[in-house]
Amino acid sequence: MRKYGVMFAVILTAILLSGCWDQRELSEITVVTGMAVDKGEDDKYILTVEGINATELNNRTASGNAPSIVYSAEGNTLAELTYRVNEGISRHLIYSHMRTLVIGEELAKEGIIDFIDFLERNREIRDDFNILIARGGKGSDVLKVTYQFQKSTSLKLHTQLDTMMKDWGGDPGVRMNDVITAWTAPGRQPVMAAVRIKGDPEAGASAENMMKVTPDALVVLDSLAIFKGDKLEGFLTLEDSRNYLWIQNKINKTSITVKCSESEYMGLRVYDTRTKIKGKLENGKAKINVKIRAEAYIDGTHCNNQLDKAKTYKESGEAAQKQINEMVTKTIEKVQQEYGTDIFGFGEDVLRQDYQNFKEVQKNWDEKFADADINVDTTLIIRRTGIRTKSFLKEVK
Amino acid sequence: MSILKSLLKMRKKEYPVQPQEAANTDPDLKSMSLEQLKNRINAEFGSTVDLSMDELKTEGKDALLIYLTTMIDTKLLKETILQSLSGKEDGIELTTEDDLKSLCKEKFGGAGYQLVESFDNIITALLYGNIIIFFKDMEKALSLSMASGEDRSVTEPSTQTVIRGPKDGFVESISTNVRLLRRRIKNRNLRFEKFIIGSETNTSVYIGYMEGISNEKIVQEVRKRLSQIKVNAIFESGNIEELIADKSATPFPLALNTERPDAVASNLLEGKIAILVDGTPFVLVVPAVLVDFFSIAEDYYQNFMMGSFLRMIRYLSFMIALITPSLYVGILTFHHELLPTPLLLGIIAQREGVPFPAVIEVLLMEVTFEILREAGVRMPRAVGQTVSIVGALVIGQAAAEAGIISNIMVIIVAITAIANFVSPTYSFAAAARLLRFLLIIVSAFLGLYGVLIVLVFIVAHLSSLRSFGVPYLSPVAPFIIEQQKDVFFRFPVWSMRKRPAYLKSQNPEKFPKTGSPSPPPMEGEQSN
Repeated sequence: MRKYGVMFAVILTAILLSGCWDQRELSEITVVTGMAVDKGEDDKYILTVEGINATELNNRTASGNAPSIVYSAEGNTLAELTYRVNEGISRHLIYSHMRTLVIGEELAKEGIIDFIDFLERNREIRDDFNILIARGGKGSDVLKVTYQFQKSTSLKLHTQLDTMMKDWGGDPGVRMNDVITAWTAPGRQPVMAAVRIKGDPEAGASAENMMKVTPDALVVLDSLAIFKGDKLEGFLTLEDSRNYLWIQNKINKTSITVKCSESEYMGLRVYDTRTKIKGKLENGKAKINVKIRAEAYIDGTHCNNQLDKAKTYKESGEAAQKQINEMVTKTIEKVQQEYGTDIFGFGEDVLRQDYQNFKEVQKNWDEKFADADINVDTTLIIRRTGIRTKSFLKEVK
Repeated sequence: MSILKSLLKMRKKEYPVQPQEAANTDPDLKSMSLEQLKNRINAEFGSTVDLSMDELKTEGKDALLIYLTTMIDTKLLKETILQSLSGKEDGIELTTEDDLKSLCKEKFGGAGYQLVESFDNIITALLYGNIIIFFKDMEKALSLSMASGEDRSVTEPSTQTVIRGPKDGFVESISTNVRLLRRRIKNRNLRFEKFIIGSETNTSVYIGYMEGISNEKIVQEVRKRLSQIKVNAIFESGNIEELIADKSATPFPLALNTERPDAVASNLLEGKIAILVDGTPFVLVVPAVLVDFFSIAEDYYQNFMMGSFLRMIRYLSFMIALITPSLYVGILTFHHELLPTPLLLGIIAQREGVPFPAVIEVLLMEVTFEILREAGVRMPRAVGQTVSIVGALVIGQAAAEAGIISNIMVIIVAITAIANFVSPTYSFAAAARLLRFLLIIVSAFLGLYGVLIVLVFIVAHLSSLRSFGVPYLSPVAPFIIEQQKDVFFRFPVWSMRKRPAYLKSQNPEKFPKTGSPSPPPMEGEQSN
């Protein structure tokens, strides 16, 4: 009997002493959904966190107050700052639901690699949050802007970027682990989506902003930020961002506009695209072949085409092919000439397909990339024309 | 479990069972006069009011008619016996035992008479509702069964109802129950054996099995365990179940109990053994394995796809009933990252203002529900509605509106309760009901890690269990591939030709291979 008593006590002690260490009741926590890092004034960084006021995000309990609290603290490591922010926030912050990290442009230009280690190491923070650059401003301002539907900007951006990428392709779909992979893998440089505040940041940071049909301030997806190492090099356009995805074989669906004559255009909805990249080094010069295959349907046309003739489909398809070729080539050339940093990961393809030669140029691959011979070849097939074959435009009197 | 065992042992030491007193010496019937016998029986029964002893003279001899008025059918007694035993002398002289036999043959042939010789047997026969006719100077007395037929009529079982299937259920009378089984299995190999158990209640307990199908070793084991029972009283098959189980320190039932004759009949044909107890409609079936508690007779009466689907629903419900509240506690206090962000924010918003930690909230609600449930079973029918209305208000609206609990908690309690009712056997659902509380408390300390530990312990415990030597988890562990047709799925009947291998039946095949039914060939088509 005594033996069982002792055993029982040991088990109970083990449970009572070892358990509970990470126990947090829901009423003791605030969920952090967004984080912004900016250049500090005195110290290295300013960390801004957005803690959600859950009551306001629930339709039944919302009363129209501010949906979140945004608080900043300044210091030299993020590791310390994530706890220091409790100097202004009452509850324990949990970071496991962090959706968005916004980095101020100024800091991004100086380099960001130092604090990313903390984000990857921390046991709470996920590695698949969106990582963004606040173009022409501070990350903290982006977090403060409110929004009608998701209310908090970090949640809004998370949803918005996903929708954008699925429907059109403006967001490069870069998460933190992609950035780290780009840094560590040979032959690739990271990119990030860039956002900016459209309107007045001051007016955006209030609950009133949510009540207006046209908000005073709105965070919009602006462009594609490209990096050399951990330093921000510059920005490309949204169009470039879509073309970047195309090369990455990450396009889900997109729409393009094809010109058929002066001031007459045709809209194509492109789906089911596949991109294959062949790369090798010939006499020290890189030769890259980008092969895009896509299908599309006509989604609206101004052109006076005979859509019941097979010839029309072929001709339109060829026009679209030509246009895609031009678009994608232009994007690649822009990156080659202006920045000379291989954001497309062509180096990775060469590494896989021509390892022996790549090894020799691995150290200065970006230079090789800058003067590489890149050829884009697109095959686009138009399959359908929506629910209408002949357009009514032909019958208009 | 082991602690429980040692506690039980301790009890035994404190209250040792008194050994039975030796039976009285049996007096010689022949030498007794009627008066002496009368006095003796009166002494044995202590002149109980329902004891009737009439002297009568028949066949030229003095005789004594003894019976318990409450146990017999008096109408039948008057009609048959008193007419047969007229006072007239038929020329038969009753002097020897043979004379008595021939008298019985002539008068009661076919009526199931017995000749009893010992005094104890007379007493027993009286208690079972027989009448005794004792002829003076005879060595043996005549015993005739006249037990009263007044019993509850066969009705639909109240605990295990079906939509499609036979609607009759066992009753309290053991002979009716045997009849219900015999009517289903018209087979000479269906055997019943009688045991008298309970030193004070002398309850009839029958075991039923199929000769040539059931494993003789298991039948022998059942016989052995039943004859070893030394308790004074048996009122329900639950008493027997506890006394013959391989292990008592377990929340899981080691014998299947059912009110349905069709379920028992199909189990008998699988090679299992039924234990019927007089005075209860619940019949035990042994050996029972875990999967038996998830399959019901109705699975076989409907389309096999529906049967399989419902069976999987039952497994799912058991898991829901077992772990949902502990998952709630574990996730809400330790693993916030497991929930999608909108759901987590929704729960936080709902719990805003709830003054208790999640574990207290869950325990509060689960205990409240258990109280309501127990009240619902025990309360008088007339106040039934009051309790259900108050109950619905207490755990539903009022508690949530008062801010004591969150709305999602109401959903958790509701789904747990409903899932618990899915279990076809009440005694098995009770296991989930008990273990749920253990899981809640452990998950409050250790989160999902603790839930997992307890689940591992439960599986280990289940695999240690035996029911009459048969591993409780068979045919899943040890894995028998042939039997998987009737575990998580219910295959078409024509494909399930084998009896459960873990029973080691003497005749492992149910019927010859027939294949699936198919339509007749079309006109002009070659049949193959």
